[in-house]
Amino acid sequence: MPDEKTVQPGEQYVVQMKAITKVYPNGVAANQGVDFNLRKGEIHALMGENGAGKSTLMKMLFGLEQPTSGEIIVNGEKLNLTSPSVAISNGIGMVHQHFMLVPSLSVAENMVLGMVPKKGLFIDQAKAIEITRENAEKYNLHVEPEAKVMDIPVGMKQKVEILKALVRGAKILILDEPTAVLTTQETTELFKELLHLKEQGYTIVFISHKLNEIMQITDRLTIMRNGRSMGVYNTKDVTKEEISRLMVGRDVVLTVQKDKAQPSDTVLRVRDLEYVNEWNKKMLDKISFDVRKGEILGIAGVEGNGQKELVDMLFNFNTPNAGTATVNGENILGLPQQKIRSLGVSLVPEDRMLYGIASSASIEENVISDRCAEKRFNVGPLFKMSAIHAESDRLIQDYTVLCKSRKQAVGMLSGGNIQKVVVAREFSNDPVLILADQPTRGIDVGATEFIRKKLVDLSRSGVAVLLISADLNEVMELSDSLIVMHNGHIAAYFEDTSALSDEVMGEYMLGLKQQTEEEVRRVCHD
Amino acid sequence: MLNFLKMLLTPEFFFSIIRISAPILFATLAAIVVEKAGFCNIGLEGLMMFSALAGSLVSYYAGSWVWGLLAAVVMGVLMSLLMGFFAFQLKTDITLVGIAVNMMGSGGTLFLCQVITNLTEGKAMASTTGLITKTLCIPDVAIPLINKIPFLGGILSGHNLLTYFAFLCCLLTSIMLYKTSLGLNIRAVGENPNAASSVGVSVLKIKYIAIGFSGLMCGFGGAFMSMSYAQGWSQDMVSGRGFIALAAQAMGNGECLGGMLSSLVFGFAQALGIKFSAIGLDSNLASPIPYAVTIIGLVIFAVVRRNREKKRHSAAGLEKIAATAK
Amino acid sequence: MTKRRQIVFSLVRGLIAIAIALLVAMLLIFISASGDSFAEKLKATGEALRQMLLGPLFRMGKNGTSFEFKRLTDILATMIPIIFTGLAVCIMFSANQFNLGAEGGVMLGAFTTAMIAIYVPMAAFIHPLVAVIGGGVAVAIMMLLPALLKTKLNVSEMVCSLMLNYIIMYLIKFLMNAYLADKTKGQIQSYEFLETSKIAPLIDNGSKLSWGFAVAIVVVVLCGLFMYRTRWGYAIRMIGINQEFSRYSGMKVASVIVLSQVIGGFLAGIGGGIEMLGRYSTFSWKSLPGYGWTGITIAILAGRNPCYVPLAAFFMAYLAKGCELMATYANVPSQLIDIIQGVIFLFFAAEQFLSRYRQKLVVKSAQEELARKNAAESQEGGAVHA
Repeated sequence: MPDEKTVQPGEQYVVQMKAITKVYPNGVAANQGVDFNLRKGEIHALMGENGAGKSTLMKMLFGLEQPTSGEIIVNGEKLNLTSPSVAISNGIGMVHQHFMLVPSLSVAENMVLGMVPKKGLFIDQAKAIEITRENAEKYNLHVEPEAKVMDIPVGMKQKVEILKALVRGAKILILDEPTAVLTTQETTELFKELLHLKEQGYTIVFISHKLNEIMQITDRLTIMRNGRSMGVYNTKDVTKEEISRLMVGRDVVLTVQKDKAQPSDTVLRVRDLEYVNEWNKKMLDKISFDVRKGEILGIAGVEGNGQKELVDMLFNFNTPNAGTATVNGENILGLPQQKIRSLGVSLVPEDRMLYGIASSASIEENVISDRCAEKRFNVGPLFKMSAIHAESDRLIQDYTVLCKSRKQAVGMLSGGNIQKVVVAREFSNDPVLILADQPTRGIDVGATEFIRKKLVDLSRSGVAVLLISADLNEVMELSDSLIVMHNGHIAAYFEDTSALSDEVMGEYMLGLKQQTEEEVRRVCHD
Repeated sequence: MLNFLKMLLTPEFFFSIIRISAPILFATLAAIVVEKAGFCNIGLEGLMMFSALAGSLVSYYAGSWVWGLLAAVVMGVLMSLLMGFFAFQLKTDITLVGIAVNMMGSGGTLFLCQVITNLTEGKAMASTTGLITKTLCIPDVAIPLINKIPFLGGILSGHNLLTYFAFLCCLLTSIMLYKTSLGLNIRAVGENPNAASSVGVSVLKIKYIAIGFSGLMCGFGGAFMSMSYAQGWSQDMVSGRGFIALAAQAMGNGECLGGMLSSLVFGFAQALGIKFSAIGLDSNLASPIPYAVTIIGLVIFAVVRRNREKKRHSAAGLEKIAATAK
Repeated sequence: MTKRRQIVFSLVRGLIAIAIALLVAMLLIFISASGDSFAEKLKATGEALRQMLLGPLFRMGKNGTSFEFKRLTDILATMIPIIFTGLAVCIMFSANQFNLGAEGGVMLGAFTTAMIAIYVPMAAFIHPLVAVIGGGVAVAIMMLLPALLKTKLNVSEMVCSLMLNYIIMYLIKFLMNAYLADKTKGQIQSYEFLETSKIAPLIDNGSKLSWGFAVAIVVVVLCGLFMYRTRWGYAIRMIGINQEFSRYSGMKVASVIVLSQVIGGFLAGIGGGIEMLGRYSTFSWKSLPGYGWTGITIAILAGRNPCYVPLAAFFMAYLAKGCELMATYANVPSQLIDIIQGVIFLFFAAEQFLSRYRQKLVVKSAQEELARKNAAESQEGGAVHA
């Protein structure tokens, strides 16, 4: 989409990305014909939900990925950005969400890594410190050159990253969700510094989905959704509500038939769960909710607002600082996973390759991992192979896992079929509660539809389902009622999802609105 | 008992601690540098065996310990680079590469020794102890002035050239790791390879350098074994020093100074064992002392580390509670 | 990739690894061969190789080569202890635990068994059984140390088990020297085992092939069953593949890690015990026997699958015998085997070795499958038209 709204006649851009398409080897089209332009000396926001394709687009600009088609023009020159070093030598720098820093080295050492000033055989520490200090002053980014990176606060780490890019000659800076890890004060400080850089003629790309911040410091913004550009706007010409609608709208609606839920007794009861992470950031703030037999409770929210931590607590991958969680009245916090499972809790994990499967083991070995000790699969000390074969064949059939045989290694299957294997195991052991964490992320439409349908069927047969998903489409379609998480607490509870609009959801997800405590408290069915 | 203590408090005893520690220190430095680069080389034992053999044979043929030492070092470096090739390029599990080198270092060196001596001496020898004379060994050095100091002179002076060099290497390695750009790159690669490669540091190259360095140190260690500690090479003469070094690395917290102190602890354990057998303890009871000390050392280190972590965790927990209270 | 192709690939890969090792061996033999001219040396190399490759089974005399049964039984007898250590390492490595204590384990097992065989009189049949199991239990207990230190304190099981090897060797030597040696003998050896304790020969041709071999084969089957047909073996394998997955699935990861090493220790222990009672009449080992290290090679060659252990053990025993014969008849030191073993080991474990060839096979398989699918579809289309 041409940016007719902001274009000025005869304008020269520092960066022009034209009709960029990126298709990954697994067939996912992350970008489809995206146009993206940068004016010299502007702060330009790149906005979109998780998976909208903004990171992919910027990775191509920084040389980490190569576009399938389309061209990239930097300072009027068409470039083939094959690696980050090519990008760096063309004045493009990127600050990643996960810092590329070496914790045990000092700030100055990190700064000069790969281009160390030497005095004879040795590192010229004084020079390294001087370089750091000089640049820190020049760009007004305060850092402590001699401190070790592991000892400095996150905000300073980020400044080190920005300085690293600047020292290497970057004129165009890409910041990938720079404020995600920062406190309010640090964010304010960062913005001051970014404005200072802008005055000096630097161009900044600011990837974010935080509306307030974007309104505060950017000049223009590009919105992406589902791999496509939804347009370019002057920040001052759009309202938050417009942005929210463009970002969070739904394109394809996969509808799943479901009857009205008949929820009965509470199965999962979570009260006042709190967790402060190792960097002293409060990730869960007095989270309370109930999931009842026969209903799907959805948790919507932009990723990184505490959903992952919540699941970690419920399946004992981590321990909370305060709060309780019970399943049918029995505590589950701090129990070994085996006990949690024996209470009837199943988990479809977010990271299926790390937790969900043993990739070089066969499908059969993967589907029995939670039930291998059960009586029906053992005769004395031995496995009852016929029962195991029957079980795995049944699951492969019931869950339509596309494979050569039950002996095939799970790692050789496609993403969708791997997830079907995980789901087959987790759904089939008579669970009373299913925690489904991003159950359809990154898998094909067929598998997605199948898994969603299964979830609905299970809930109607009396299972309690907690569905955590960053996919708005999914969470709104499937959930009977849902809560929205923002910044570690529950921003809203909707008892009935059928009348919900995307706009309303967007406002709660992005923190524009917050329900009162009483309204939120309704999710506890005491 | 008192008599025994008296026996210990002699310059000779302390002298022997230092002497015994030297080869362990070389291997420990090797372990420290590869660990900083992010992996573990368990083939130190085998590398030392090969170097020890090469050193003693070349020293004999060339008639000079200088060439022997050079050969030992070259052997160590070449073998370690070959290990690197298998581990980094052919993606063999580095632990298995190490096991293979140790296997070859045990029997394979004996094979080479026999074949080579058969070619040159006309008969296959199972060790080179008959070939190496005192003059073919790396010389001992008396340090003027210091050797005049009573007691201390007896401890510090008169050591083998390589013993002094081992302690010098400890200093040099520390300087290399912390004061040069190579050391900076090694530490960066070990801690966050993505960070290193994102600023143009070649991770593969640095890993090769690190494993080559471990070969270099094992070269010195091996040369010391066959050309000073013992006169000549014999089968399995390194007897676990390469493995003890891995423990010393861990106990020294991966730092040169700590590694040196740990090496001295092992040196002490072994020297004590020798003293025990001198007063009549069965040598078969004295010999396992260093190995037992290694296990005990590792356990103590692990307990201390765990307690430290627990303390930190609970401190973080307190902060968390404070933060929650706000 | 189809299953057939995968097997072909593994075979080709294994054969090439062995070929490379033999090439290296040939080079070394050539260097060590006696002879003044190149041709003479070549001839000597050929002779040595012939001894190594054929000697273990065939007698090579003036009137041609002929198969000799006794030589086969010799090899089978050599396989007994290394089958056990191979199994032990298979099980420990399957849980991703690099415990190298099988070496010391064999010696401790042999020693314990020997002591029971000498000092605890019992009825025949029961005596060897109790003695061997006693040896296994002793080593199983010993392996608790590295296993528990690993799971409780995260101490490297590798370093710990290596140190234990040395400690065990010296302590046994001490006990022998100080208390247990038969002072009437010129060398350090124990008293004779009681007659009731001996394991009878399977074939009485002086080859030392005892009933222990039959036991070894039974244990192979049991280990195969254990690893692939019981929940514990399954847990061991899953933990070796992905520990996080196993924890998430509700397995008791720490207990299973300990279990794998205890079982490994038990196997190494009974291996040493059976070797003792089947081959010797007194205990006279003065150093570690090396069976533990061979066991590691066997486990790698067998791909950590117990069922392939006898095959790998046969290969190693054959090779050892070949090298031994070569040393006797062709003056090539028998330790050549350590180098061959190391080279084969390295290439077998090298993941990227021949990876390009493998990639080609994968692509070929994928293309074929696609072609088949297309063909099937067009056929279906044709059917509709008709």
